[in-house]
Amino acid sequence: MRTKFSGILTLFLAFVVQLTFAQEKTVSGTVTDDKGLPLPGVNVLIKNTSQGTQTDFDGNYTINANRGAVITFSYVGFETVEKIVGDGNTVNAQLIPAAAELEEVIIQAYGTTTRATSNISVSVVSSDDIVNRPNANAIQTLSGQVAGLNITAATGQPGAPPTVRIRGVGSINGDVDPLYVIDGIPTDANAFRSLNPNNIASVSVLKDAGGTAIYGNRGANGVIIITTNKGSFNSALKMNYTGIVQFSNLQENDYDLMSSQEQLTIERDLNRGRGAGLSDAEIAQAGTTDWFDYFFRTGVTQSHNLSLSSGSENVRQFSSIAYFDQEGILDNSDLKRFNIQSNIDGKSENDRFNYGLNLGVNFSRSNEPNGIGGTGINRNFVLGAYQSVPYISPNDYIDGAALLSPLSFANTPLFLIDLQETFSRVEDEIQILGSFNASYEIVDGLTAKVDLTAELRDEKRVTVEGPTSFNALLFAQGKDPSGTITQNSNRQFSFNQVTSLNYNKTFGKNTFDIGVFTEYFKAHYENFGFTQEGLTPSTFSPRDGAGFIPDNPDNDFYVDTVFADALNAGLFSYFSRVDYDYDTRFGFTGTIRRDASYRFSDTNRWGTFYSVSGRWNIGNEDFMANSGFDALKLRASYGTTGNQRISSNLLIPGIYFDAADLPRDLYGTGGGYGALNSTFQTQIGNPTLEWETTTQLNVGLDFEVFQRKLRGSVDYYRKTTSDLFLGTPISALTAVFDPNETLNSVNEQRFITDLNTNTGEFRNSGVDLSLSYDVLRSSDPEGFNFTLDFVGNYNKQEIIDLPTEDGQILQGISTSLREGGLLGEYFTYRYAGVNQDNGNLLFFTADGELTETPDVDNDRVFLDKNIYPDFEGGFGFKVSYKGFFATTQFRYVIGVDRFDFDLQGFQDPTAIGQFRSSVDLLNAWTPDNTNTDIPSLTASNLALGVNSDRYLTSSDFVRLRFAQIGYQFPEKYLQGTGFSNVRIFANGENLFTITDWRGFDAEVFNVNGQLQSNLYPTPRIISIGFELGF
Amino acid sequence: MKIKNIISVFICAIALWSCNDAIDIEQPGRLGPEQAFQNVEDLNSGILGVYNIYDTSPEVQFNAVFTDELSIGFDNGGQGLGNGEYGFLLNAASSAPAQQWLTYHAALNAVNRVIEGASFITPDADEQSRYNNILGQAYALRAFAHFQIITYFSTDYTDDNALAGFLVDFVPTADQFLPRSTNGEVFTLINEDLTTAANLLTDEDNATFVSQDFVTALNARIAAYRQQYAQAITAADELLAKYDLPTRDEYIDVFLDASNAGIIFKLERTIGDDHDRQAQTGSGFGAGWVGANFAFVDGTIDGSPYFEIGRSLFNEIDPADVRYDVLVNETSLISPNYQTTADFRRDDILVVGKYPGNEKPLLNDLKIFRIAEMLLIKAEALAAQGNINGAANSTAALIKELRDARFGSPQPLPVYTDQQEAFGDILDERRIEFAFEGHRWKDLKRLGVRGNRRIERDPLDCEVNDACILEPTDFRFTMPIPLTELNANPNIRDQQNPGYN
Repeated sequence: MRTKFSGILTLFLAFVVQLTFAQEKTVSGTVTDDKGLPLPGVNVLIKNTSQGTQTDFDGNYTINANRGAVITFSYVGFETVEKIVGDGNTVNAQLIPAAAELEEVIIQAYGTTTRATSNISVSVVSSDDIVNRPNANAIQTLSGQVAGLNITAATGQPGAPPTVRIRGVGSINGDVDPLYVIDGIPTDANAFRSLNPNNIASVSVLKDAGGTAIYGNRGANGVIIITTNKGSFNSALKMNYTGIVQFSNLQENDYDLMSSQEQLTIERDLNRGRGAGLSDAEIAQAGTTDWFDYFFRTGVTQSHNLSLSSGSENVRQFSSIAYFDQEGILDNSDLKRFNIQSNIDGKSENDRFNYGLNLGVNFSRSNEPNGIGGTGINRNFVLGAYQSVPYISPNDYIDGAALLSPLSFANTPLFLIDLQETFSRVEDEIQILGSFNASYEIVDGLTAKVDLTAELRDEKRVTVEGPTSFNALLFAQGKDPSGTITQNSNRQFSFNQVTSLNYNKTFGKNTFDIGVFTEYFKAHYENFGFTQEGLTPSTFSPRDGAGFIPDNPDNDFYVDTVFADALNAGLFSYFSRVDYDYDTRFGFTGTIRRDASYRFSDTNRWGTFYSVSGRWNIGNEDFMANSGFDALKLRASYGTTGNQRISSNLLIPGIYFDAADLPRDLYGTGGGYGALNSTFQTQIGNPTLEWETTTQLNVGLDFEVFQRKLRGSVDYYRKTTSDLFLGTPISALTAVFDPNETLNSVNEQRFITDLNTNTGEFRNSGVDLSLSYDVLRSSDPEGFNFTLDFVGNYNKQEIIDLPTEDGQILQGISTSLREGGLLGEYFTYRYAGVNQDNGNLLFFTADGELTETPDVDNDRVFLDKNIYPDFEGGFGFKVSYKGFFATTQFRYVIGVDRFDFDLQGFQDPTAIGQFRSSVDLLNAWTPDNTNTDIPSLTASNLALGVNSDRYLTSSDFVRLRFAQIGYQFPEKYLQGTGFSNVRIFANGENLFTITDWRGFDAEVFNVNGQLQSNLYPTPRIISIGFELGF
Repeated sequence: MKIKNIISVFICAIALWSCNDAIDIEQPGRLGPEQAFQNVEDLNSGILGVYNIYDTSPEVQFNAVFTDELSIGFDNGGQGLGNGEYGFLLNAASSAPAQQWLTYHAALNAVNRVIEGASFITPDADEQSRYNNILGQAYALRAFAHFQIITYFSTDYTDDNALAGFLVDFVPTADQFLPRSTNGEVFTLINEDLTTAANLLTDEDNATFVSQDFVTALNARIAAYRQQYAQAITAADELLAKYDLPTRDEYIDVFLDASNAGIIFKLERTIGDDHDRQAQTGSGFGAGWVGANFAFVDGTIDGSPYFEIGRSLFNEIDPADVRYDVLVNETSLISPNYQTTADFRRDDILVVGKYPGNEKPLLNDLKIFRIAEMLLIKAEALAAQGNINGAANSTAALIKELRDARFGSPQPLPVYTDQQEAFGDILDERRIEFAFEGHRWKDLKRLGVRGNRRIERDPLDCEVNDACILEPTDFRFTMPIPLTELNANPNIRDQQNPGYN
């Protein structure tokens, strides 16, 4: 090893001597299209190196190049142009439409490459498809744009993170989120609430082991790399302003709910609720309240974004400030955000030293009601909107005290009106994302680099239950006055450092690129808070302590709760990448990484992950010259990645800190019998716990045909995760009492009954397909251009091995597992329909016999359905003519099945008198109405239907996820106005959906509580905006 | 691995930070097993942690919901229905068996750790008695946990060859999977533990901690369950000589936790402890405020009672009986002609009054042994021995003694035609005396056939699901081994209780 290193050293000493006379200098210029208009975002690359940049808003670029070097300019939809660097320092280029997609710069792990020389499966989304979109969360915008990237909204709460899965769910209990890297800062999905999407320059989604193995311990679920905008050297100050206003509304449902008259009549028939004993005239007089209208609203959003960029000879900068204010469609939910971004980079005169400093300071404040998705009729606004009886009016609300007696479930909407009036839950977040990098080219081709990045997230959440609120009075528990304020402050700081040495050398047609790296990661978490019990109504004010009631000697009602938590996390790694290219015809890359995680015991701490990948640019072979293929590339990769993130819980303390020391047996102290301080066992350790390992094979083909009119790529992958973090059930013999088990967790019991182990195996295999086709392509930029896009993914899941002898773990409806089965496969007894003889429900036994009284345990079967799609993706078109442009983007999902418990509520006869019903119930079985699919309202086995598969429903859908039309004013109209760019546009999101799902939103589900109902649907959004450049 | 070391040194040298700083992390505030029990004070802290696990609130829930103690309340939001126990649904996936199985086995795990911890500690002379008392409590609690498991999971308390739970007198490890032991084996250990405990315990009596009287009371109950009635009488007599039946006023105060009259042992519940919470309402995992097993908010009609007193039980309680005052909350809405009223659910609201709460609504201590149980154990023993009638030393005499105290006036001396009638009357008296205290299901299991009684709900109460009657011979009078255990433990899979396969 040592010898080899010195060999290399000698090599470049010679190399330095040889090239000392080469003159390196800064080259800059402007790239325009065939009409002379500046082209922003053009990829500028020194040929046969990985050195590259992009043009700024005005088409300007600056790059370091040697005299005689070849600069390639490439841009989607245009032919690539090559220019040789001569004596001058200015190299301008004019691009002609008709694209060369394989030439674009790809941002990959710890560096860049080009489309042609990339061996890996990577999808790039450019800023065009991200900026000015209606979503507060940038990640949500990617939905349906990348093959194999499944993004599902978990809630309509503004800014909330969606569920993101790359090529299926890669783990059963461990974290399944991809790794996010923003300007080199490794972070998680929670980073995006406060982030400004308009600063994003590009997003690269790394999917195969060739791309992710170099991230070793964090790469198992794929990697999403995000870069923010940069300025350009030698450019005057440019300003760009975008303003958008948008309106969000609730989508439609198909539940067919009863009017007041229908509801009261059915109540009268059953002698229940307010309808009992009413006359026809009284029923006819009742008013109908639209509770959807009451609890939901048209949410107004405003967004302002101002960016400034400029550059001198050796320094360039990009800065932006933004303000964003979005009202959720649910009352009491919103997000306000203020962002400052400043990116500066520069270089030394001789170009050997480069540095960059990115700083983002983000502040957000959001109102986030909790209890959404829960069953609390006094907590869940969505439940109130859905289930409230229509004959109650908001005017019936007086105050919280008036609701106490009689305490009636039918008053659900009034409880929630009171909640609106008296409850608040506000989260403030300060996020600082900072990164600094510096590189020095020690000798030609040999560059040392250091990347220092840090993220600080400081979150404060204040939850207030006012002293006069219904809930405070109801659960006063002796307190008078009642009310609580809970304040929770947590701070996370993470620091990451990558130190690297990179050597790049070309011998004739051979190009080598070798890098060695170390990475150090350390993170700290602190949480502190209190709950104040008791607030004096006269002096109470949310967030202020004036109304706090002190403890007294008579009772313990006003004893406050304080809590604090501190955790630390760390990782250390060293790794290397070797990249070889022969004449852009063949390429090979190998990576190897050694990783250590703080989570595991001394002996299991280190893991080794590797990948090999290669390509054959068939299209560059001579025999393909007249084949009709403009480009054709075959690639393959194989490798391993690890997952050390045992917990998938994004909530505090989050994936870095949760499950920090599972290998250890632990005791704890705290309140025990009679609330006296006591000592107890808290954790059964498993010292053998180690990495989950994902092994992935990927074979792909990239192609461009018909004068590059048809472009695309297809990938087959097989991804196997072994040593899964799975709870192996343990005997009650070693069960541990865990009083802190949260109340509403799926696991209601307060005992630890499994041991965290590495066991079992699970596989995702499938195909990703991306296609673009230029139906019409004009050489005149004002001409007619029409492009179709399609992305799709087919994914098959299979559980290969489980720790139990019979290959099954039988638990709840969505938590049972079997070998050969799907993840989260539904497991319950089957509903067969209505017994037309008596109106009772019929079910199947396990053997398929009809029965009215299924054995709710032993008649359960696996249903071969789950909540994850088999097929999904998006399609759409982009069209432009003269200054007009339009984009559509559809998203489709096939093979998702969910329980519609909202429908169950509307069809539940026992809820009549308390909650709202569907008109479906009017068709219930009676001796005179025997051909129906709705059981008798008094069927004796109604309750058994709830947990059968009766309400298991397909939620497949096709949705017009995004549409945009706009007009870009041609430059000839702008001359003399002072504007360089004027653009107006209108966007729509979720404009229509085709689905069998009867609820408001076929998409939203809570992946951590997939049996939940009454969730916050995503809105339909219409927005208009304009963009001004100076 | 020389080359690897060289590389590591090289790599760490160029990083600004040392490698180990990132990966050798000791999280703050952690306590390892070696440090947990180092002195007598730690042991005391440990035994308080053990007590914390014991919780009969879920038993109160199960014995009430599964039997004829309660009915669906007017503010019921589905609690007990669906797959709930109110429909006599009981299977390996049910929550109630999991709760009982886990609670008492977790308790055994914890108590054995304290006993083992004690074995490494040599107390100073002045700590010896405290040390003994802690260890005595540990042995008694171990016996109690073993016995509780038998009461829910053994098919027949009187059959020493029937299967019990696990016999655990050691600190278990996570890779251990035991088969069930027999009742005989477990009772042998229980008896040894109780003898050891009696010798070590320094407290003769203590309402909220294990004392010698706790040991005697447990002996009496075990003997009665095993139908070893001579021993039952000896133990019951010892306590009856010591504790008086509470007066009517005291009786009311007992359930307000304002008096300990007649209390041999109860589990204390207080604000800020781990059980001070609402918990999963209507679930067999009914841990939390004991009153929250019946109502969401408090023990009155405005407290959103989702379960109410069963009409068939209510019809048995005489309003002149102080137990009526305790059982039926005064805000109840009682329909005199409930069978014909328009809306039975809304016109006849019988609010459970036993757990109004003391320090806060619905929070009450959990009564484990009361002197009335000793009296009724003796009455049962006398009936078994044939002494059913007569003014002294008979079942009839003891039943009269109890009723006299509860009514506050002399009640007629019962006359039984045969032993079955005597057992039936004992069962009826227990139904009222121990309503909502977690006895009914077990009493029917062991006395139902002998006394010709069964679960029998008022027809209006069971209209909702047709679950009206369950005979005491039904297999559901033994709980199934829960799924959590079957999933983990291959040695128990062919030992499932009858009826659940």
